[in-house]
Formats: sequence, C-alpha cells, structure tokens
Amino acid sequence: MMRCFLLTLLLIAAVAATAFAGTIEGKVSPGKSVVYVDTIPGKTFPAPAQKPMMDQKGLMFNPRLLVVQVGTTVEFQNDDSVQHNVFWPSVGGNKKLSHNLGTWPKGDKRPFTFDSPGVVPLLCNVHPEMSGYIIVSPTPYFTETDAGGNYKIDSVPDGKYNVVAWHEGIKQTKSVDVAGTSKADFALSK
Amino acid sequence: MTRQPFNALPKLSFCLMLIALSLLFSSTSYAIPAFARMYGTSCSTCHIDFPKLNDFGKAFKDAGFKFPKDDESMLKIPPVMLGAPANKELWPKAIWPGTIPGIPPIGLRMNTYFQYTGTSSGKFASLTPAGTLAPFVPTTDFETGLFSIFTAGNFGSDIAFWVDDDISVSGANANGDLGDGYLKFVNISRLMKLPKDSLNFKIGQFELELPFTQARSIWISPYDIYTQANIGAMNSLVPLQQFVNNQFSMDAAGQGVEFSGGLHTGGYNYSIAIIDQNTSGIGQDQNPGSPYVPQATGSNNGGLGVASDSNFKDIYASFNYRFNLEHDKESRDAIQAAGPTGPRDHTYLNFGTYYFYGRSVQRLLGAAADGTSAVVTAREPFYRVGGNMTFNYRCCLQFNALYMFGHDENLLPIDASGMLIPLQNLGTAVPVGFIHSTPATFSGGFVDAEWLAYPWMYVMVRYDGVNSTSDRINGLQTNPSFTGAPFNAPFASTRNRITPGVQFLIHPNIKASFEYQFRPSQSVVIATNPVTGLPIALNPFHTNTAVAGLEWVY
Repeated sequence: MMRCFLLTLLLIAAVAATAFAGTIEGKVSPGKSVVYVDTIPGKTFPAPAQKPMMDQKGLMFNPRLLVVQVGTTVEFQNDDSVQHNVFWPSVGGNKKLSHNLGTWPKGDKRPFTFDSPGVVPLLCNVHPEMSGYIIVSPTPYFTETDAGGNYKIDSVPDGKYNVVAWHEGIKQTKSVDVAGTSKADFALSK
Repeated sequence: MTRQPFNALPKLSFCLMLIALSLLFSSTSYAIPAFARMYGTSCSTCHIDFPKLNDFGKAFKDAGFKFPKDDESMLKIPPVMLGAPANKELWPKAIWPGTIPGIPPIGLRMNTYFQYTGTSSGKFASLTPAGTLAPFVPTTDFETGLFSIFTAGNFGSDIAFWVDDDISVSGANANGDLGDGYLKFVNISRLMKLPKDSLNFKIGQFELELPFTQARSIWISPYDIYTQANIGAMNSLVPLQQFVNNQFSMDAAGQGVEFSGGLHTGGYNYSIAIIDQNTSGIGQDQNPGSPYVPQATGSNNGGLGVASDSNFKDIYASFNYRFNLEHDKESRDAIQAAGPTGPRDHTYLNFGTYYFYGRSVQRLLGAAADGTSAVVTAREPFYRVGGNMTFNYRCCLQFNALYMFGHDENLLPIDASGMLIPLQNLGTAVPVGFIHSTPATFSGGFVDAEWLAYPWMYVMVRYDGVNSTSDRINGLQTNPSFTGAPFNAPFASTRNRITPGVQFLIHPNIKASFEYQFRPSQSVVIATNPVTGLPIALNPFHTNTAVAGLEWVY
C-alpha cells in the first residue's frame, strides 16, 4: 500500500515537472547554427564541471564550433607537430576581453574559463587561416542545430525569453513565450 | 673576336636600359600557392612577406618542400601513390614506389610596375656627339613585368622538385625563360650513415646558394653587387687597358649539380656547386643553325645543344653558421621559437662566407708560331669572394650585410714580336698569345634594414655600393679631362645608391611595393679648378628613380 502511494507521488511530481519545463524548437536557416536562451535577468546558473576540449589538429580547430555555458573551463590542446597559438580578439565584440593563450608543445593543453557570455572567435597567430568559434551561452539552455538547421532545446522553464540564433557572422534575437512546446524559426541573413 | 674602342653614348644607353630592365625583370621572386592549396594553409605559414621565407618556410624548404614532421597528416589533399609501399620490400624486382602531389602543384604569378625617373636624366643628351640621336628616358612609364608559372613539390622518398618559368615578360608572349628547374635529393646522408640533413644533392638549373637570395628577395630592385659583370677597362684614352670581358654575375642561374647540407633554421649550412661555365653570356639559342654544334631541336646532328662556352666547370662554395640566441635550449633548437604569445622567428646572428672560382674565356682569330691562322684563347681565371652577416630580432627586425671582392686575371694580347696589341687595333693586328697584366677587380656589397612594422607592412632601406675602376674608366666620355660620369657612374664608384622602400600586403598573396632610389651625384659640365688646375665637375645632379609595383600570386 505504501509502495503504491510513493509511486503515485512520483508520477504526480514528474507530470508537474513536465508541465513547467517547456521545449523550444524550430529551424534556422542557413543551416548549421547555434541557438541559446539569452541572459535571464536575476537568474544565475552554476558553472558546469565538465571541461570540453578545443583541439588543434591538422592546422584546424576541432571542433570548429563549440557551445558552452558561461563559467565553463575549456581546455585547448595542440595535437599538431607544428607550433600553434590560440588567441581571440574579443568576446561578444568586447575587445577588452581579448586574450592570448600563448604557445605550448604538442600534446599539452591549456585551460581557460570563460566568464563572459558572447561569441569568441578563435585565431592562431601563425596560421591565419585557422578559424574556430566558442559560443559562450549565458544560460544552460543552448544547442547546436543539425546540418539542416533543425534544433530543439529541452527543459526550459516556462516563461518569456529572448532566444538567440547565431550563424557565423550573423545573429538574430527573438522573444519567445515558452509554455510546453514553443516554436521559433530563424531566417538569418547578412 | 674584335674589340671596339670605347664610345660613351652606347654605353650610356646600355646603362639606362640595364637599369630599367634590372628593375623590371631581375627580381624573379616566387611564392608557392600550390603548397597553400595542398596543406590548406595561408601563405604566411611559410612567408613573412612573400617571397621572403620565415623560419618555418626555411624548414619546409630544407625538408624538400614538406612539413618537417608529420607531413602526411598535414596534407589536406593526399598524394597519389605510384606504387604500394610494400614494393620497397621487392626491390630490385619492383620499382621503388613514390608519390605525386594529389593536385598539380601549380602556382602563377603576375606583376606590373609604374616607374618615375628624374627629369635630370635628360641632361645626358648634351653628351651626345653631333649627328647622333640622344637616348630618351621617359619620366613616367607603366610596364608589365612577369607572368610566370611555377611548380614544386615532393615525389616521396625525399625527392623534391622545382620548376619556374616566365611565360611572358613585359607583356610580350613567350620571351621569358626558365628560372630554376631542378630535382633535389634531400637528406641522402641517411644512406651513408652520415648525420641527418648533412648531405643533399641537387641537379638541374638553379640559383646558387647565395648568402641572400635574389630569387626570394622582397626588393623590387636587384642587389647591385650580384649583377656586377667584370668588364675590364677598355677606354683607349686611358692608359690602363684590360682585356677582360666576363659577363658572369652572381645572380645568374647555373646549370650543374650542388651538394649541400645543414639547416637554415640554426647551426651550419653549406653548399658546393659545380656548374657550367658561361662567361660570354651567350646561350645555345644564340648559336642556331650551325652544322657543327648540336642543336636542341630540329637538327640531324642530335645532341641537346650547348649552354656553356668552355669545358671548365665553375665552382661555388658557401658556408654559414647561424646562432639562435634564445636562452631556453628547447626554444633555441625548435624550428620557430616559442614566444609568450605564439611561435615566432628566432632572434639570431648568422655569419657566412662564400667563394666562386671560374675561368673566363675569350677566343680570338690569331696566328700560331709558324704564322698559320689559329684561334688563340685567353683563359682568364676569376674569383668572387666575400662574407655576409645577418642579425634578426624575432619576427620584425632584420639587418643584413654582404661584401664581395671580384678579381679577374687580365691577359693582354701580343703580336708575333711580343709587343702588346692596343685593344682598339685587335681587328687588324694578329695576336699570337697573351701576357699577364693588371687584374680587373671590383668590390662592394650592400647593407640593409628590414622592419616588419605590421604583419602586412614592411619598411626597408638599403645601401648598395659597387666600386670598380674599370667601370669608371669605361664610363668616362671621350674627353680625357672629364671626371664626371654618366647616369650611374660617379667618379669613384660604378654604382651606389640608397633605396628606401615600403611594402604592403593587401592580402597574403597580393603585394604593393614602393621603392625610391637615391643615386649618386653626377655631372656633365666640366671646368678647370682655377687653384689646382685640375678638371672638376660642375652642376651636380641626381637621376633618382621611383618604382611602384603590384604583384600577385595564385
């Protein structure tokens, strides 16, 4: 009897949670992009413990695009037998946040914690063709689209948010009411 | 062979033409966008300001146009296998496998120029003898330069290749020529259990391993000392007579073989080249149709044609030692130094020396001891020797210096009575031999400073100086009291100039260059010094030149 009661409580809790955590989905053109919920006033989120890696291999940043939550520590690794450098001229367009991580040998890695949200264009000062991006999302609600531009962000609490879609060199913000499943399509153009 | 007495005006015209041509055509510089394509990387991976190589570019070249390590993993376009690697185990019953680049490694280059020449060049018209047209030098002139094709890469097994050819020059079709074309066997020292990189072998046509390459120089104008040919004093109005007509200049490509070793990124490097002698400056194309000389094409005589004018082979040797000056040993020994904000070129000091030995050949129709007609040959040994120095500070600042001394033996023709034949009489007198006389010498060099102010902007200044008594004497006009000199031959030296320049990389493969050449003081007005009674030059002027160039490779 007691077990049945607990199961019922659990079911009710699960249904309630589903009712207050919505989903944002839609499509971004032109394809492969990043979508995230912009800053929510008065709300902060704990920094994640995971340390994603940005590799340098074959004279390329790998992955070319990385999305992280603000406060995340990213590890930069050189897997090439040539020397590389990592620097970024700005974060979110703010040049005061530019930084040069320096040089380190093959196999070594160097961490950096991104405390400010925005787009971080990654460059190497010896191989100017190398290009990568880290998108620092101010909230944990972010995702990358598939190649067709389709995306889905789960577990977004109900509410009204600014949702940002970013594609290299283009950005668009939309206000979205999240209640259950909400839809937001973006057509980005320069 | 007959020699004409010196006449100033043709020489002047020649000088003017030489300057213009040398500005436009001597800077045969190349970068290799084919490598950029194959590796998916920017020109600036290997070049500071194309075609000048950075330390990584030097290492890439030393390795036989490959990344020094893990080359295969860097290639975005993999090479085509010309045989499975396992064929090596079958050798000699199978062909040793090799590779060819996955795409035709072709690069193209085009440049175009605008030149401004000081109006004072017109003052030389007053030297023109009556009844002769004065040479005319336009003040402004647009000129297309070179359209070139070049290809380079690696065939596997550390066999590298390079070919560049000027398809058209100065807007005219197919009147360019082959620059370099060679095969280089890299690191053959490993086959002989010698230290790594201590021996390479190159065969074909190539620029000598000069202390400062002319082919990869960023300057529009060539280094004057490299273009100096040693032509003896031949002005009949001056007592000194030199039967020297050596057209050899250090910037000319040679045909032959080269043994080399060491690295250009630190420590020693050397080169020993054995090349065809061609001191007459006449190539096989200047001797067409002879039934006795093998022709390259269209001849029943077979053969390949001839490129040299003697059996003798010239010898060139150079040795350099480069001290990388970083405190940290690991950084010092790396291809590029690990700076706090990224890899960079080393701070280094390089010292070098070089020596060239050849024999200039002149043949005259003369007589044997019994009076019968015979060809008498003057084989005049010559050498060029010098030293060089470079100080480089990281990416951005470089000082270079080079000195050269040139020395040609001078054999004067004599007649059957043992008397010297005045050179202006060579056409009528019959030489039977030669005697040694005053050698023809010259000396000079250059110093320059190159500052990379921004990654896209180079600011440079260079001083060129070439001192040659014979050139000065040849530059004198027919008035023996004249101590001035036409266009580029001041009294004491043949050529000296100060050339500031600036270059802008519009893109990594497009460059705009500007140079201004301050030339030495000249004069065409002579008077007598009332105090000393000696002739003096009045109304000195300069004939300066400004050149702007646009160059792009793709």
